[in-house]
Amino acid sequence: MSSKLSIDLHKLAKFTNIVIPIIAILFFLAGIYLSFYFHFITVTFIFLTVINIFYLNVQTHHSLLRNFGILGQGRYMLESIGPELRQYLFANDTEERPFNREERSEVYRKAQNIDSAFSFGSQGNFDATEIKLRHSLFPANKSKMKPFSVTFGEERGIANTYTIKRPVIISAMSYGALGKPAVQALARGAKMAGIPMNTGEGGYPKYHLAEGVDLIFQMGTAKFGVRNEDGSLDDDKLRDLANKDQIKMIEVKFSQGAKPGKGGLLPKEKITDEIAELRNVPKGKDVVSPTHHLECKDLESTVQFIKKVQDVSQLPVGIKMCVGSFKEVRTLIREMKSQNIFPDYISVDGSEGGTGAAPKAFMDNVGVPLYPALHNMQNILVEEGVRDKLKLMAAGKLINAGKMLVAMSLGADACYTARGFMLALGCIQALQCGNNTCPVGITTHDPMLQKGLVPDEKAVRVKNYIENLEHDFIELLTATGCESPRGLTSENLYVPEGTNLAACIHQLESASSN
Amino acid sequence: MKKVAWILQIICALILLQTLYFKFSAHVDSVQLFTELKMEPNGRILIGVLELIAGILLIIPGSAAYGAILATGLMTGAVIGHITVLGFADERLQLGLLAIAVLVMSISILVIRRTEIPIIGKVLAKRISN
Ligand SMILES: Cc1cc2nc3c(=O)[nH]c(=O)nc-3n(C[C@H](O)[C@H](O)[C@H](O)COP(=O)(O)O)c2cc1C
Repeated sequence: MSSKLSIDLHKLAKFTNIVIPIIAILFFLAGIYLSFYFHFITVTFIFLTVINIFYLNVQTHHSLLRNFGILGQGRYMLESIGPELRQYLFANDTEERPFNREERSEVYRKAQNIDSAFSFGSQGNFDATEIKLRHSLFPANKSKMKPFSVTFGEERGIANTYTIKRPVIISAMSYGALGKPAVQALARGAKMAGIPMNTGEGGYPKYHLAEGVDLIFQMGTAKFGVRNEDGSLDDDKLRDLANKDQIKMIEVKFSQGAKPGKGGLLPKEKITDEIAELRNVPKGKDVVSPTHHLECKDLESTVQFIKKVQDVSQLPVGIKMCVGSFKEVRTLIREMKSQNIFPDYISVDGSEGGTGAAPKAFMDNVGVPLYPALHNMQNILVEEGVRDKLKLMAAGKLINAGKMLVAMSLGADACYTARGFMLALGCIQALQCGNNTCPVGITTHDPMLQKGLVPDEKAVRVKNYIENLEHDFIELLTATGCESPRGLTSENLYVPEGTNLAACIHQLESASSN
Repeated sequence: MKKVAWILQIICALILLQTLYFKFSAHVDSVQLFTELKMEPNGRILIGVLELIAGILLIIPGSAAYGAILATGLMTGAVIGHITVLGFADERLQLGLLAIAVLVMSISILVIRRTEIPIIGKVLAKRISN
């Protein structure tokens, strides 16, 4: 921008600051000599003068207001509605983050059962960075496709195995991060579609249980719902929960993509009486979970802890982690091997993962993104000869069937998504999850805002989303020529040079050829 | 502090509302005042309605700051009226002091509830959030 404009602005501001009190005086005179009604305007301008004097001379917090006075306020007002302006007026269909309008509206259409045939061509960027599935000259025969089925716990031969029949699961979102109607809608929709739902680290899953949906109980690092005073595991509480028919699996959370190396965070704005009770925490303070489980001090104790949870719960037990160092992951897997103890699944959370609230420093700067993390995890498991000891799950923006199949080609047995389901509930990506002000009533406990989210209505959308995802999933899978996602490998992907994933594939190739 | 604000709000609201009786019933004193201001009768009714709104806003929890802004404005007008036209003689003294009292109280309410003032509140809370 030319400097002329900014000089003009400065002059304009000075001019305004002089003119406002002059107008006040003029109208004061008009009020005296013409009509007392003019004093309505006098009073208004007296107010503006006082505010302006305050901005220019008294307050020291905002440089802009101190320099420009009331005109500077205009900038703040514009800035505060900036995200909305960009979203609705100025941003391209493929420009926004974390999900652009194209990606969002695909979910909206699936959720509302609207046909998603498009014309003329893709909006995607084909030159650069997009990973594509390779189709086969000979697509699979649809009638011969093997029905999707993944059984957790079969490797250990336990009595309470759990089988999923659809490739997607609702990823961890706690009651706390989500409000009550959102939990109800998700649980009802998942039940209708016959998929399980992860409870998130929100303590006793009261509302989830009430809906009769299959549940994966998540034990966060604070172990809400199953903790002793000191933060260690209360075996009895876990046993009681695991004995409930609806609880099908337990997930021990080590870390989460949006804040790896940092415990969960629930801002105080969102802690109601009930949530304080379900989590057994005080009100009026942010609840910050510890960075890791008390029991997990080193590799050995970490693997032992997994065993303990398996023994106490008698259910399939998975771990959720965002990958930091591949070396460290390998040592963990080796430790599992040497103790011959394996979790029933590992869920890899990409660093692009979502969250209700996380420190921005962690959100932006820590952890390996999903595709490279997953690819390496799969490789480590294969190289260590233990891939058949457990299942692999993946999460990180897997909100459409194409991305899910990419994850499966890289080794995942099933996919998790959190934000995909939020979009299905009507999320407009207002980015307010931590403020208790979610405009569509999903991540808020404010009854006025929750009014907008009618669980029965949205449950149907959740169900539609799942069904339409699966529909696309099968269509795409057929095109690859595979009869089951287990047949997919990274050979089924076209990975452009210059992507994270390409770099990571090259690294592995050169490592194995040495 | 919030308690102090509430006490002030109630006092202000009571004073504002009790003068309404005189305005709306076209009491001779009231008519006299507004005739001097050359606002009779429309101005009398208009000011009365605004005072009614201010009084109500002051005693609704979520809108006290708005009520205080309106009351501050109206009382500034009233004080201007006393200074330029009505004067402070005899029973006008009492009326004028009452206006000044309400003015001071509503400014105090605004100071206590400064973060609730629309737009400016965010600056006063030392935080611009988006
Ligand atoms: C509102 C919200 C709340 C979440 N709460 C949890 C949680 O309690 N525990 C957890 O492990 N992950 C939590 N996550 C992370 C998700 O489970 C998931 O791992 C991540 O968002 C990646 O999936 P996505 O990209 O499909 O959203 C949360 C995510 C969101 C958006």
